[in-house]
Amino acid sequence: MAYIEIDNLKYRYPKTKKLALDGISIQIEKGSFLGVIGRNGAGKSTLSSAIIGLVPQFYKGAYGGSVIVDGLDASRTPVSELSRKVGLVFQNPFNQLSGAKDTVYDEVCFGMQNFGIPSDEMRRRADAMLEKLGIAQFRDRNPFDLSGGQMQRVAIASILVLQPDVLILDEPTSQLDPAGSEEVFKVVEQLTNDGITVIMIEQKIDKIAKYSDKILLLDDGKMVTYGTPSEVFAESEAHGVIPPAPLRLSRALNIADENNSYPATEEAAVRIMNGKVSFKDVREKERTTSSEEVFRIENLSFHYTEGINVLHSVSLSFDKRPTAIIGQNGAGKTTLAKLMKGLLKPSEGSIFFKGEDTKAKTAAALSSSIGYVFQNPDDQIFKPRVLDEVMFGPVNIGMSKEDAERKAIEALGLVHLENAKNRNPYDLDLHERKMVALASVIAMDTDAIILDEPTIAQDDSGKNLIARIIGELAEKGKLVVSILHDMDLVATAFTRVIAMANGSVIDDGKPEDVFRDESTLMKAGLELPHVASLGRKLGSESVLLTDKDFLESAFIRE
Amino acid sequence: MKSISLYKDNGTWLCRVHPFTKLMYIAAVILIPLFLHTLWAYAVAIALDVAILISGKSLKRARALIIFSFTIIATIFLIKGLFDGDNITPLFSLGSIVFYKEGLLKALRTGCVIINMLLSFSILVLTTKPEDIADEMERHGFSPRLSYVISSVFSIIPQMMGTMDTITDAQRSRGMETEGKLSVRMKAFIPLITPVVTSSLINTRERAIALEVRGFGAKGKRSYLRTWKKHKGDKAITILLIIATFLAFIWKIITWLI
Repeated sequence: MAYIEIDNLKYRYPKTKKLALDGISIQIEKGSFLGVIGRNGAGKSTLSSAIIGLVPQFYKGAYGGSVIVDGLDASRTPVSELSRKVGLVFQNPFNQLSGAKDTVYDEVCFGMQNFGIPSDEMRRRADAMLEKLGIAQFRDRNPFDLSGGQMQRVAIASILVLQPDVLILDEPTSQLDPAGSEEVFKVVEQLTNDGITVIMIEQKIDKIAKYSDKILLLDDGKMVTYGTPSEVFAESEAHGVIPPAPLRLSRALNIADENNSYPATEEAAVRIMNGKVSFKDVREKERTTSSEEVFRIENLSFHYTEGINVLHSVSLSFDKRPTAIIGQNGAGKTTLAKLMKGLLKPSEGSIFFKGEDTKAKTAAALSSSIGYVFQNPDDQIFKPRVLDEVMFGPVNIGMSKEDAERKAIEALGLVHLENAKNRNPYDLDLHERKMVALASVIAMDTDAIILDEPTIAQDDSGKNLIARIIGELAEKGKLVVSILHDMDLVATAFTRVIAMANGSVIDDGKPEDVFRDESTLMKAGLELPHVASLGRKLGSESVLLTDKDFLESAFIRE
Repeated sequence: MKSISLYKDNGTWLCRVHPFTKLMYIAAVILIPLFLHTLWAYAVAIALDVAILISGKSLKRARALIIFSFTIIATIFLIKGLFDGDNITPLFSLGSIVFYKEGLLKALRTGCVIINMLLSFSILVLTTKPEDIADEMERHGFSPRLSYVISSVFSIIPQMMGTMDTITDAQRSRGMETEGKLSVRMKAFIPLITPVVTSSLINTRERAIALEVRGFGAKGKRSYLRTWKKHKGDKAITILLIIATFLAFIWKIITWLI
């Protein structure tokens, strides 16, 4: 008998008509690494909640079929009991802290206290786990003071000290920067060697391909495939999951391995493709240029606390090219964006918007010309109807009600939510609420739009939609500036990239030029886009940003 | 992180006194003068509070609390001294304004009650970690949920204040003025408060799940990372305080009967 047996599981959330899970049957062996993929709303998180019993015990709703974990019925065994066997780590690191403990060490011990583990044993486990996850130096720090990546490792440690047989990771890195994600994935990699059963839900498909023994592809609550990465990715595209770059490119070039399947990881692709592919020089990409200056930033410095500068004498000029700002958490990206929007005032230096110094203007006064979309949509949504929420900004800046409504409907069309205009925003999923927040700023029809991490919580189709929106806004002559951690989107949707580290601009130019410079990537703690990375490993001199670039440049050696 | 807890471990003996001993002290030092009903009892209580705070090197930090209360006490003196119903004997006058003895005495008593309460509470608050109070309560049979609420409030409230700042920024970005006339601020209330409430509801729900998967609701005996070793003095002082309070109570009954 397998460790986890799921048989014909069906589930519907309360007050909904659609099945969130519809006839799932799988068996998960002890010690295996299972990846779960699928588009937003496919049922991934619901499935993980069912394995730990939160569905149906916490969420209620209609439940059919069975989930048996090591002989226990997950629908009836209390979650607090089942959590001795199954651990769950989810997206938001902040909400996983108990909030009752003021040091990392005490936080990690919180669960063990609940289970009555003797204090000597508690200390032994906590010491070992902090060491293992590389967070021992934070043991006496307040967990709320840590960065997202560090906090998420504390969350993982807090679960692992309970020594569960199964660890479920529900998009554990979706809210982290590349360096923070890497910290978490390093921990995950260790776990794969420890014999613990890992179930990981991820949108970062290359990571899933790298670690998983088996992958479960869900769509619309149903199981599409359950098999090896190569098997699953062969048909994932039709279900909203774009296969990893190595598989897409090797398939396009028709280079398969001895079993006639295409490699899903970069490592495997390099092994198979090396020596078979060469690259010709690609001609310089033609890019739209722009000479009209929108923002001019002169010697801008900023500090929150006297004496500790977050930005050091930054000078930049923005024209109308879509511009991505990249760099690690704490590099000063959000501070720069907030200064541009007038939410913060420069400590030194000046910011000019269309030639006018913004110092004397409030953020509200600037809002008719500069839009800003915040990371978390729940920090702004307050109207009970989507359309009213989107009209709030336009009306504030003095548009007539008719104009505001027209602009709002137009913006909702752009984010593909025109059919949701009469719904309550809180009935929408997080990725849709993010789109509502985006539309509510687009509807204000500003000359410049600043986006802070627009891709968080979006699946592949959401990311593609955002790329399209950026293109359309640029075509309308608007400046789009976006803070981004998703290098693949940077490579495909932006014509200018500004890399920041420690409060300074360390590189600024076309994406291919910024990504060419390895020292920039190192300093900014960034990874190459996946296509470019494979290209470089296979010997391409040029930086190949997109599939199209790659396939135009690559040719099969005779 | 900004913490709203006023606790600071300054290494003095006062920080090592058991939270329950401090709680018993507060009860005794408030109840005894109340039973004895004389001003000198308040004077002794306040002197004791101050002596303890000085010895625990915490008087300086208690000062802010006391200064804050002075405005209230001054108001009480003014109102009682001038307008109290029992006022008969004029004590002194400032120009045409006459202060009366009866009212001022009442105000003095109320002022002493307030200062005594503030000082004795500050002995607890300034030298005890909220988490320790919560842990000890839980260990002595109070519900773990109650102890969770006590210790989490101190970290959740500063977090909510942080969220409030972000929300203000998000609405200002959409052209809503948040500063200026009262009418502008009134208009800004709903757009600011709604996201605070909804996002804390969402956070609470997630946190409830996070607690549950870490066995918060698990049945069976809990264990503790640290055990607070009660000092011999803790027990002795607690017994003394109970006896003193009891005696004062008896005194109260006797004087009432006679």
